[in-house]
Amino acid sequence: MADKETSTAPSKVDFCSELLSPSELFGARTRSNKIPVRGQKEFSRSDSEKQKERLQQSLEEHWALIAEERVERLGSLVKGLWIPGERVVELQSPAGKFWHTMGYADQGKQFLLPEEALYLMECGDLQVFFHDLPLSIQEGYKTLLSPESVTLQQYQVFGHLKRLGYAVSRFDPSALPTHYEMQINLPQKNDKHSRHLKRKLDHSVTPTPRHSEEQSLSKRMIEEKPETEAIPGLAGLRPAPSVSPEFSGGQGMDLDEPAERSRGTSWWMKEAVEECPGVSDSENTSTVPRWDFSSISFPDLGSSMARRSQPLVSPDPELLPGALKVGECDISPWLRRLNLHKEKLMWKERERLRNQQRYKRDINADPEVRKCKKWNEYLELLEKRRRHRSSSRRSKPAHLWAQEVKPLTHPGDSSSHGDLLKKISVIPSSRLLDEASRLSGDLKWRISFNIYQPDMVSEYKKSNPGTPYTRICVCSFDGPVPDLQAIKQLTYQSGNSPVTFAVVDHGDISFYSFKDFQLPVDVNQ
Amino acid sequence: MSSEGPEKPGEEGAGGAGSSAGGAGGGTRFDLEKETELRFEVEAGERVQLELLSGLAEVFGSELNRNKKYTFGPGSKIAVFTWHGCSVSLTGKTEVAYVSKDTPMLLYLNTHAGLEQMRQQAERDNDRGPRVMVVGPTDVGKSTLCRLLLSYAVRLGRRPTLVELDVGQSSVSVPGTMSALCIERPADVEEGFSVQAPLVYHFGSTTPGTNIKLYNKLTSSLAEVFSQRCEVNRKASVGGCIINTCGWVKGSGYQALVHCASAFEVDVVLVLDQERLYNELKRDLPHFVRVVLLPKSGGVVERSKDCRREARDEKIREYFYGFRGVSFYPHAFDVRFSDVRIYKIGAPTIPDSCLPLGMSQDDTQLKLVPVSPGRDLTHHVLSISCVEDEPADGGSARGRGVLESPVCGFIVVTAVDTQAQVMTVLSPAPRPLPRHTLLIMDIRFIDLK
Repeated sequence: MADKETSTAPSKVDFCSELLSPSELFGARTRSNKIPVRGQKEFSRSDSEKQKERLQQSLEEHWALIAEERVERLGSLVKGLWIPGERVVELQSPAGKFWHTMGYADQGKQFLLPEEALYLMECGDLQVFFHDLPLSIQEGYKTLLSPESVTLQQYQVFGHLKRLGYAVSRFDPSALPTHYEMQINLPQKNDKHSRHLKRKLDHSVTPTPRHSEEQSLSKRMIEEKPETEAIPGLAGLRPAPSVSPEFSGGQGMDLDEPAERSRGTSWWMKEAVEECPGVSDSENTSTVPRWDFSSISFPDLGSSMARRSQPLVSPDPELLPGALKVGECDISPWLRRLNLHKEKLMWKERERLRNQQRYKRDINADPEVRKCKKWNEYLELLEKRRRHRSSSRRSKPAHLWAQEVKPLTHPGDSSSHGDLLKKISVIPSSRLLDEASRLSGDLKWRISFNIYQPDMVSEYKKSNPGTPYTRICVCSFDGPVPDLQAIKQLTYQSGNSPVTFAVVDHGDISFYSFKDFQLPVDVNQ
Repeated sequence: MSSEGPEKPGEEGAGGAGSSAGGAGGGTRFDLEKETELRFEVEAGERVQLELLSGLAEVFGSELNRNKKYTFGPGSKIAVFTWHGCSVSLTGKTEVAYVSKDTPMLLYLNTHAGLEQMRQQAERDNDRGPRVMVVGPTDVGKSTLCRLLLSYAVRLGRRPTLVELDVGQSSVSVPGTMSALCIERPADVEEGFSVQAPLVYHFGSTTPGTNIKLYNKLTSSLAEVFSQRCEVNRKASVGGCIINTCGWVKGSGYQALVHCASAFEVDVVLVLDQERLYNELKRDLPHFVRVVLLPKSGGVVERSKDCRREARDEKIREYFYGFRGVSFYPHAFDVRFSDVRIYKIGAPTIPDSCLPLGMSQDDTQLKLVPVSPGRDLTHHVLSISCVEDEPADGGSARGRGVLESPVCGFIVVTAVDTQAQVMTVLSPAPRPLPRHTLLIMDIRFIDLK
């Protein structure tokens, strides 16, 4: 592709109708189509004859190159019409192979964006007419490029990347998925969006059915997910002593009770909401244990009441299976029949038991434990004490803090080395995207193009381009360097694709990008 | 269940009093007064048929149908209790059969009434139902009390959950496992609870002492799954659970009980027959947990080690061949060593001096140790872990997954051919194996009969 890129500076306006004689054609074909080598840059002027000569020669070669006449077969040229109002080129004859990566269709007509048209003109694939006259390359540059659509620098970057084989499309910020959409992973919506907004309506491809199919496919995948997540029971083994998926996963419930289920879940949720205020005035809610065992009676032979050998009151028949009616139960004979099972204790165990009896205190003698009314409160208390105990064990040597130079941390402040290192780190590490979402303000920096990799071109689809390999922001070497705010903002805007800065220096293009990296951490825990 | 029903005529023979025995229709007829029970034990190699002629009676909480013949296999120890009085007939040879007036059934019934009150309150307040832990030394009737309380609860339309932590004599799955089972109907008089879709975890040994760390971890796992289920299933939440524990109540066994109580956040602890345990639990559990001391039934008999081993064997046979070895037909096929990965949980302990600095000894108990298949694998019971099959290079992260994954079935290695690198297994389902991560148990099963 690059070889063809030799431009002509036409001297006659009606050159399009010019027919060449066979000898001229032959000459054009055998002409050397090498691009002059630029060689090393002349960094400083030495005013020597040799340098002057070299510069002169290089200049002449370039002029000769530009002055060269382009010879193309009329049949291979696609005709286009420049519509200045919309800043697009409408194709008059069927598009060539380039349609694969360029152009868009709207209401049955095919259009090219100005940078695409100009690039194709330079390639010798397209002839653009304006006011019924074909545009020369020079006129093309003048007419098609404008600050409102594409600047010269942007076009230079575009052409450069195109010649390298990348698929390049314009960047449309409104087509980007919002941050929220990215979080919940909505890829196909993004694509659909961009297609409609950026390329207007693409009737020629009519990808709608495929899209709906994709959507339904992904929907199906989402639906299938819980099934695959549940631990599958055994496919083959007999259900009897096996594990059911119903029971595992926590979603096991009676399938024939859907109403029950929905009620149940909503209730739990409601309860969770109700609990929140309850936490604040926990004094009120937790003063009474859940079960009032003074009203719920158990035949406890160990209790003092049983010791007084009062007979058990007969239970409410409602509570019994088959509406049984039973009388009172005299428990006194049973008191004599406890500990029937002789416990065999080894000497060591007996010793331990004796020690326990002597030293182990009833945990309920502790007023704090008495205050707990629920298991979670009690477990929290235990956890708190455990932590307290482990931290109080290493009490700090107070004199170290009395001096002017103090230790950076207190013992017990952090529970791991990683914690400690984080605490004493002087310069906190920062990431490129940190707080980028909160930055705002109009920037003069804009992302211009989406770039897709050349080896992807075979699979590249205009209707569903996927995630760009990178996005390009065009800068000039004369202009200022983008500041951190701009970089952050552009990176944030670009989302999942990196941003590359293409810096144009009078036709020479260099690419820069900023990569996020993390300083290695030796200790994590 | 029948194989391990621990109720049996005791030495304390208050029996016979007030009962009138008389022959009727080929069998022995017993007329029971109200609130008495008939205890009998089936002679070895014999079968006994029980028939309810009139009145109402129940066996461990499950009601008997009138004029239906129930068959009990050799070694069964059964107690037929009646609240109202009834007459039953026994056909076949019994070792002992007598009527006893001294049953703690009223106390157990009162206990049930208390639990039912709690369930009613839970239903009213939309809270969770009672979580009950049954503890006590071996041979005091823990499993029977669990069965009784569960049957009563389910007869009132509750959906309680049985959590079986007794790794030695599991009433749900094969020994060496810890399991949970949602109870939806009363236990069958002959077979016990219908074992449908239990949640089973591999423990691998018949005493918790071999790996107490794993025991506690699996207890926590079960508690977590049960709590998750309660969150989505209102009925299961109200029904609460009844936890059957091991008979090991000293030292680490006692610590495991306290850990279980806090993992399940139990509300009621039923202590059978041991005042020491009762007092210790009262001391070590917070005050809002109701600890209740209950007497054991006079009918409970002590089982010998052999008896326990037989019961375990019977349980594994029941898994493969069905109840009484008639309903299921297991498959035998070859499994190539290369197709499966066999692990044992828990590495041998290493002296502290050999350990890397800062590594604690406890970690070894939860480690997965690959077992290279060999001749010594023969007759071992293997659990098939539900964990997803992955490439063989397992890190510690994967190891955790295996520990916490339930079991989807069991196989027994019947023969190992080291030359051909295959082993023959007895499996309840035809090949292929549903998963390829196998966990080895200490338990052996020799497939005779």
